[in-house]
Amino acid sequence: MVLEKLTGPIKEFGLFAGLYYGLDRALMLARSPFRLYFYELMAQPIGRTDRVPAGLKKGLEVRQIARGDVELGSMPVTEDVLAWRFKQRTVCLGAFQKGRFVAYMWLCFGPYEEDEVRCRFVPIPEEESVWDFDFYVFPADRFGLGFASLWDAANEFLRNRGVRFSFSRVSRFNLASRRTHQHFGWKRLGRAFFLKAKQFQLMVATISPYVHIAMNNSSRPTFQLRA
Amino acid sequence: MTSDLDVLCGFIREKLGHQGELDPTADLLRLEILDSFNIVEMAMFIQQTFGIELQGEDITRDNFARLADMVALIERRRADG
Repeated sequence: MVLEKLTGPIKEFGLFAGLYYGLDRALMLARSPFRLYFYELMAQPIGRTDRVPAGLKKGLEVRQIARGDVELGSMPVTEDVLAWRFKQRTVCLGAFQKGRFVAYMWLCFGPYEEDEVRCRFVPIPEEESVWDFDFYVFPADRFGLGFASLWDAANEFLRNRGVRFSFSRVSRFNLASRRTHQHFGWKRLGRAFFLKAKQFQLMVATISPYVHIAMNNSSRPTFQLRA
Repeated sequence: MTSDLDVLCGFIREKLGHQGELDPTADLLRLEILDSFNIVEMAMFIQQTFGIELQGEDITRDNFARLADMVALIERRRADG
């Protein structure tokens, strides 16, 4: 049982990522202020064809969720984080099945300030790029059509605005999210590792700016990402 | 005569590339043989092959997690006419 717990992440994520994951769990169990994050930075082309045929979309609606809408209250996100998101050039799209809120996603036009670690992502060229984040399907609706329909609607929304690529960061440990992006033909642009404790943050990445050390909350690395 | 189950198994093997065992009662989502994306492909295949109409609300875990669930869904829709 103990051996399985130790070797499980290595089997699942590979040797390096498995050890990294194990170290983060150990830090958490030891109630250490330090936490580790491992992101893959990626770009995916905006799809030109719908994945869900129109016939199956009956009863499904995708619409924009604005500041103050009741749906925001059912998102597993704190009010501070929502306020932080609305300060940026963001759009939130929600999918509804016969009026029931089943999934949502966020898009940011222009630079995106990450809320899990201190970091700024700048997709370029700006007019052809968007940052997508927090794609969430409510547990009761996982494996339904909300997921694929929401991406279809988002792609149409972005195509109409001349956007060609969507950029994102995916946790190396979120295998479902990685699989999703693989379906969309993702291209991995680089990897970034963060060690964070209160105001201190160390970042090491495989792409520029490669290394960054922050000793206070105002200091953060910036990634310029091009597909 | 080929059963509905054989047809579904054929699709999973040929189109999704799964070469291992296919137990009709096994949870294909848990086994990661199916996911949110290829469930849509599976639904489209079922509509075209069996000549039945599915609604968006039919595409649920309860109806698509197991091959036996899919066969039961096909039979229900056939009975609906």
